[in-house]
Amino acid sequence: MGVVKLSTAGILDYSKTSNFLSGNAPVSFGAFDLLETVSLTSSAASVTFSGLDAYSDYKHLQIRGEFSQSGGDVIFMRFNGVSTTSYAWHNLSGGRFSTAESEAGSSVSYMRLGVSPGSARTGLVCDLLDYSSNVKNTTGRWLFGQTDGPRIVLGSGGFFNTAAVSSLSLHASSGYSFQSLSRFSLYGVK
Amino acid sequence: MATPTYTLIDSVTLGSSASSVTFSSIEQTFGDLILVSNHSTTGIAELSVRVNGDTSSNYYWVSMGGNGSTTVSQSSGGATNAMRPMERALTNTGIKGVFILQFFDYSATNKHKSVLSRSDTATYGTGATANRWGSTAAISSILLYPNMNLFESGSTFHLYGIAKEL
Repeated sequence: MGVVKLSTAGILDYSKTSNFLSGNAPVSFGAFDLLETVSLTSSAASVTFSGLDAYSDYKHLQIRGEFSQSGGDVIFMRFNGVSTTSYAWHNLSGGRFSTAESEAGSSVSYMRLGVSPGSARTGLVCDLLDYSSNVKNTTGRWLFGQTDGPRIVLGSGGFFNTAAVSSLSLHASSGYSFQSLSRFSLYGVK
Repeated sequence: MATPTYTLIDSVTLGSSASSVTFSSIEQTFGDLILVSNHSTTGIAELSVRVNGDTSSNYYWVSMGGNGSTTVSQSSGGATNAMRPMERALTNTGIKGVFILQFFDYSATNKHKSVLSRSDTATYGTGATANRWGSTAAISSILLYPNMNLFESGSTFHLYGIAKEL
């Protein structure tokens, strides 16, 4: 059988591809995938990840952040834009006293992740469990800390709403902003 | 577009006791690092960590922990010469601890490096720690060592990379 040379010379409408996917959506084979990253180049009072229903292939979400804020203290989180008293949180924290302390809020308008004074470089790892369920409330847990306050926090919280979480927002203290160089990344866990 | 991540960069399993373990020439392509240590020591010891061979007073930490009867909270109160990514979680002969350290934005060259850790030993207790390396240099090596005694044979250390760019 003769070899036929394929030439593009007679093809009027074609496109070149540089990988085997040839324009198809990439397939992820991982169980822990990076979904989105927000890296601030200027200050922002809050950071929002929206359209989370597009990630329904994932069972859980993880937020990883490294940030500072311009002043204030409390860093907090909300879901689906809800700012009514639909949240509760507990923080086990160290740094202020010689023993660990327990703090909590119930029937409040946010989950309190921790305290970060102005310009303190702060780390956050937050897991949101079964976030896309529409039959049960949403729970989260987190590890949060910075050395300038200083404060280390193990926290958990509840969003008392059975709607699937389609957006989440992280907020600096009221009247303050996350500073440039702050970074928040969203991961999906299968 | 999702990017699979949580990539194993390197691992060490000790075949004999050792005074320290170093991960060097760490590739700079990830956003965060996660270091998982499961080690015991030839006598009672705390875990200490340094980066880039820096032995000067550039490290700050705050910690809390409990052991079933008391809780404790403390901080470095100023710069020290090593990270202290443990609280209540001592190790000893045949007594392994699990230490998980999260290094954020380790390859950045425009900010100090934040490190959060969890530490657990069944015998001694559980804790959590925040550390900061007061340098804007990218982290290219990590040294782990017990403040006394040696890591025992069989101790394992795994370093993972977490992507932050799609």
